[in-house]
Amino acid sequence: MTPDRHGSAVVVFPSELEIVTTREFDAPLELVFEVLTKPEHVRNWFAPFTDVVTECSIDLRVGGDYHIVVVTEDGAECSFRGTYIEVEPPTRTVATWLFEGWPDADAVETVELHETDGVTTLTMRLAFRDQAGRDHMTTSDGQADSLDKLEDYLASLQRDVVSS
Amino acid sequence: MARSSTTADVFNAVAETRRREILDTLIDGEKAVGAIVSDLSLSQPQVSKHLRVLSEVGLVSSRPEGRRRLYRLEPSRLRPFHEWLAKYEQTLNERLDRMDEYLEQLQQGEPSDT
Repeated sequence: MTPDRHGSAVVVFPSELEIVTTREFDAPLELVFEVLTKPEHVRNWFAPFTDVVTECSIDLRVGGDYHIVVVTEDGAECSFRGTYIEVEPPTRTVATWLFEGWPDADAVETVELHETDGVTTLTMRLAFRDQAGRDHMTTSDGQADSLDKLEDYLASLQRDVVSS
Repeated sequence: MARSSTTADVFNAVAETRRREILDTLIDGEKAVGAIVSDLSLSQPQVSKHLRVLSEVGLVSSRPEGRRRLYRLEPSRLRPFHEWLAKYEQTLNERLDRMDEYLEQLQQGEPSDT
């Protein structure tokens, strides 16, 4: 039996302009990466059942673009697009992120995967452009730091599982 | 025209690192320009310029005190940002739940002898 993880995403705001979401999946890391990055998979989960994914292209390489368009039940079109900055299968991607409904919310999204005992932890860090630019400029310090935190988080989760 | 979007929108106003630092330093309470300058090691013209942008979107307010002008954070003006985040959080949770269900289907549908 696998645990019910519905609604279990942990969303934290380490600063005004960063959103870090953490979520576990009972699936191997490679499969989670495929489901996140292959259009034929993304089409199956990205939008609610009432909505239709009308466009889903993902060119998974540095400099490659992705574009996802969802048409909602009431006919509204939601368009997400961006360009990959880093691609390290099957554990990490960094890409620009623009939701056309919120042109001021221009961001960079870093997606990282970790697998522990068959449980894959997805971490998505959404950082508004200048913040993300600053992180990239200061090289890997921030990333190492966030990975340490992810390790701590996984450890704390496993303690929770053992004690419950 | 390029400037108008910066001054009209809370999202753009806080998208600048220095302006966020100014907001951070005002969390402690009202401050004069001189105090912000010494907190952040910025020049007075820089601080004044950023305070003008923050004032225009209402994120800071000011009042005269003697010969000085004191600046104060108006956190309620960050509401559009919080509302956007709340909406984002709900949408994201639902999307990740769908991804969870899809992963489960995939794994049930595949032979387990690999």
